[in-house]
Amino acid sequence: MLKYVFRRLLAAIPVLLGLSIVLFAFVHLLPGDPVAALLGQHATPELTAEIRTRLGLDKPLYEQYLIYLGQLLSGDLGKSVINNRSVASELALRFPGTIELTAAALLFAIGLGIPLGRIAARHAQGWTDGAVTVISLLGISIPIFILGYTLQFFLSVQLKWLPTSARLDPRTHIDAVTNFMLIDTLLDGRPDAFVDALRHLVLPAIALGSIPLAIVTRITRASVLDVANEDYVRTARAKGLTERRVDSRHVMRNAWLPVVTVIGLQVGGLLAGAVITETVFSWNGVGRYVVEAIQDHDYLVVQSTILVFALIFLVVNLLVDVGYAFLNPRIRYS
Amino acid sequence: MLRIRPAGLVAAAAIVFAACQGAASPSPTSAPSTAPSTGASAPASSAPATSPSASIKEGGDLIVGLPGDMVEADPSLVSDSNSSYIHLNVIEGLLGVKPGTLGDVIPVLASDLPEKSADGLTYTFKLRQGVKFHDGTDFNADAVVYNYDRQKNAPKELQDAYNYYFGAVFGWGADSNLKSVEKIDDFTVKFTLNQPQSNFLISQAPLPQFGIQSPTALKAGDADNPDPGKSPYAQGQGGTGKSMVGTGPFMFKEWVPNDHVTIVKNPNYWDSANMAHLDSVTFKPYADQAAELNALQAGDIDLAQTIAPNDIETLKGDSNFQVIDRGDSCNVGNLEMNQKQKPFDNQHIRTAIAYALNKQSYIDAFYAGLAEPADNFMPPATQYYKPLGLPTYDPDKAKAEIAASGLSGDALTLTFYYPSDVARPYMPDPKGLAQAIANDLEAVGFKVNFKTEGWRTGYLADEATGKFPMWLLGWTCDWPGPDNFLVAAFFHFQGSKPNPEFAYGPPELKAAFDKGATAPDDATAQQAWSDAQDILARDLPFVPLVHSKPPAAASAAVQGFVGAGNLNEALNSVWLNR
Amino acid sequence: MATAAAPLNQPLAQPLTSRASRGLWRDAFRRLLHNRPALLGLAIIAVFALAALLAPVLAPGDPLAGTLVNRIKPPSAAHLMGTDLQGRDVLTRVLYGARISLLVGVVSVLMGVAMGGTIGAIAGAFGGRVDTVLMRVVDVLLAIPGILLAIGVVVWLDRGLLQIMFAVALTNAPIFARLLRGSMLALRESDYVTAARSIGASTGRILFRHMLPNALTPVIVAATLALATAIIDVAGLGFLGLGPPDPRTAEWGTMLTDATSFYRQAPWIIFFTGAAISITAIGFNLLGDGLREALDPRLRH
Repeated sequence: MLKYVFRRLLAAIPVLLGLSIVLFAFVHLLPGDPVAALLGQHATPELTAEIRTRLGLDKPLYEQYLIYLGQLLSGDLGKSVINNRSVASELALRFPGTIELTAAALLFAIGLGIPLGRIAARHAQGWTDGAVTVISLLGISIPIFILGYTLQFFLSVQLKWLPTSARLDPRTHIDAVTNFMLIDTLLDGRPDAFVDALRHLVLPAIALGSIPLAIVTRITRASVLDVANEDYVRTARAKGLTERRVDSRHVMRNAWLPVVTVIGLQVGGLLAGAVITETVFSWNGVGRYVVEAIQDHDYLVVQSTILVFALIFLVVNLLVDVGYAFLNPRIRYS
Repeated sequence: MLRIRPAGLVAAAAIVFAACQGAASPSPTSAPSTAPSTGASAPASSAPATSPSASIKEGGDLIVGLPGDMVEADPSLVSDSNSSYIHLNVIEGLLGVKPGTLGDVIPVLASDLPEKSADGLTYTFKLRQGVKFHDGTDFNADAVVYNYDRQKNAPKELQDAYNYYFGAVFGWGADSNLKSVEKIDDFTVKFTLNQPQSNFLISQAPLPQFGIQSPTALKAGDADNPDPGKSPYAQGQGGTGKSMVGTGPFMFKEWVPNDHVTIVKNPNYWDSANMAHLDSVTFKPYADQAAELNALQAGDIDLAQTIAPNDIETLKGDSNFQVIDRGDSCNVGNLEMNQKQKPFDNQHIRTAIAYALNKQSYIDAFYAGLAEPADNFMPPATQYYKPLGLPTYDPDKAKAEIAASGLSGDALTLTFYYPSDVARPYMPDPKGLAQAIANDLEAVGFKVNFKTEGWRTGYLADEATGKFPMWLLGWTCDWPGPDNFLVAAFFHFQGSKPNPEFAYGPPELKAAFDKGATAPDDATAQQAWSDAQDILARDLPFVPLVHSKPPAAASAAVQGFVGAGNLNEALNSVWLNR
Repeated sequence: MATAAAPLNQPLAQPLTSRASRGLWRDAFRRLLHNRPALLGLAIIAVFALAALLAPVLAPGDPLAGTLVNRIKPPSAAHLMGTDLQGRDVLTRVLYGARISLLVGVVSVLMGVAMGGTIGAIAGAFGGRVDTVLMRVVDVLLAIPGILLAIGVVVWLDRGLLQIMFAVALTNAPIFARLLRGSMLALRESDYVTAARSIGASTGRILFRHMLPNALTPVIVAATLALATAIIDVAGLGFLGLGPPDPRTAEWGTMLTDATSFYRQAPWIIFFTGAAISITAIGFNLLGDGLREALDPRLRH
């Protein structure tokens, strides 16, 4: 098992290396450069040239890439051209926000999607099944920002049940330790702030979780139905086992496999969806950060952030595969 | 001003950095007993009319929504409106602007307006005594000299790229028009210029970039590091007394980038009559105006510094909120043109475009009526303004001008750039405005070919280098002087040549500009700026559209807020009625 | 999938075994016609396609030029869906918008299938080192969140419908590459390809006559489903300020994006445009699921 994990990690290295080259080439081939965004209308040819030299942007591309790679290998993600802040410390500040958001969205999707899928499967063809089908269809068909604004408009503005945006009430001051609001509020001994952070999390998590919810629901339903028709389940039922026992011992244990796989596949989509969700809800996360960086041509920020995204994506996929193998002992690590 | 501007520095800048912010002066409304008499300053009762002082409630935390985050904690390193909006509450300059006005210059850390020599070359300031910075350092002549010298001799890396306004007003180092700032005694400072500079007072008064900061804190925080990212002072680290250390009614507390900036009441403010009522103010950035409005309606913020004009109706119907009218406009929104690009070299075409545009319909549709049609390249509240009688909406005259131009067919296709991703005070909905303009132009016989670029990605840079034939842009004042609009924003010269943005500038315009900028007295300045406006009216280099009044909105609990068209809004007079 | 029309306990493989001789496609078509949700999806798409084709005939107004004094008027007899921020008839723009949105969606998915399919087919057909290299490239692309890739492409290539199509295609391509490669690999080892090989069929014949047609099945299903997301992705690009350069263009994503900042004053614009986007997406999702069931009865649910 460990050997398998190790081998998979090794295989990730060429992917990340390739990605770093592709990203580097891509951002450097974009017309315009960060100096233009930095100077705006202050730009003069002399000033631009001077700043390019200072930033090392006048060196040959391969040399710039090797410098970048060297930095990466020594654990330095570089710094923003626009505001000089180190990418690593900005990510440390913002990644927790995105992780909190995506984790909440995933929890929402799983927590609601699996029961919904099971209910739909149990009553397949009935009206509950129909209702669940329609909900999941809407989930994948309504764009995140429409859903986000709609939720915001009705639940925050009209009904005032939940806060509109941001991660915490601006009046609340807590010490930032981990930058996970749910953790920091507790570390600070502020259960009230914890509840507040939780309330801020609800709407963005629902907006972001709507697509995975639909997908998890569908796959759970399909998977349960599939397994329910397997011989061993019929046998179990024929043996006179209670429906609940059949469900927990035979159906779900096997139905988990595709569900876990699909959940793993959602992580990439969630990171992408976070870009839009964070914009709608003014969420201080890494999605907004990277969109701004792309628009500013802030090379190092774009490269390093997407590399970190990719790393997360690969690690999650690895975890999913390991989880898959754990759930299904028939799979060999090869 | 012309001569001192570093060659080629494209001054239209302040649009980006919608400058025009504010006062280093949080409203000294009555002379404190500690200070020597202050003749010009402070009408005793300039406290906002809305807040009868008997019922003022002390304390509370105000949350303000801003369109973006602070950029650096040191005002000398920024030229954006969000940073300035925060800085002006913390850092004061020698001069300031009377609250609620655009350009009534008043002394703040100076005890009186300066004494000007007959040749217009020296200004002598008496300083206010007994003032301390937030870190306990004494304010005195040494502090003033240190601050001006520091900016004048800023490291090359900071000049223009970060530190913009000092260069724009005085120029750098040996090339600076500011020859020297000398200490005469502990509370007297003398400024000596190389050339008379007619904007000396009005340019410095509204800008926190000319604020005086604690020399102790600046040195300790490595504020002059050529890389502001490495300066704890510029990065807002360390809290009160370590960063953003001025003398104002509020003191810096903390900055969590992209999340909030908090300032707290200065209990030892020198102007005890204008002590802040609030315990603290927190500024939160909202990239999206809809999100900001939601936050206001949900009670997450108390004051939205900028709201979309179209949201005014929504808020007006709700007694929990108030819409704030900012009084005189200090901006102009334009349909700009480059005479190097066809067919804009043809004056008949430019005139035809001016006749084709129904400015009032844009104002009703996109500015919620909070604007007036422009009849000049600068707003009416500017020094030396006069109405120019520019063409007004008349499609028939537009068609006649097109006929007179001798152009037809493809030559009447206008390439029209608009910014895709931004709302500015002078154009709250550029995308909508561009479409309405295009419809008016096509109605008289033009064809419009739309192009767009991201505001930061290329719009400003490409506009500055002359790539655009016709485009939407405008200017919010840094200070309400003609030089700030006509020269800095638009028709500044590069040497003797017109700048590439407009490719327009006859020699007589340059002569008028130079005369106005270096006028030693008011009458000369008046004449020169009047001449310049006449030349522009004659040539109509582009079509000014509107002067807008960007609205703010607040919860009904917010009292004592004094709005200003240039966003020069000190918050010490604000209190919360709840 | 969620739209199974047959009773749960019906043996799943039955239709295939009993009518094996009829050919996969005819069979699939017959099953599709019996799938009510899929037919609904088909009907939705047909209605929108028709609206797109007949827009100039059906539309009551001018899609591009409006009258400012008529702006933001709620639905009425004169304007069934109200008017927009420029005083244009929203119904007119929804109809014209169907043209662009369907075109952008279809073309971008086709481009994605072509790009991804080529890579996947080559990788699957040749296997070995070619496969390894190509799939690593695909891995690299898959590791970048789609919307960021799309933003990058539009920022890079400048704004325009063609650029948006390419951007959306590029985010879809790796998915199709994987899909086609997977089925090609499975088919390489399948009995009938082995059989064809053993009777001496040429590689080209095996590839084009035996492997590709069968490998395409899942691609067709995935492409139909991708149409739904393509239309949403285009709207997302518009939301981030990267729509077509002419702001007058009646493109659903741009229309909706412009309306989001006015959703208090003019909720009907968002409602009707959002409904058009969502209903079209629903149509493609229903049809895609129906196709999946029809083409692969094993996946009936």
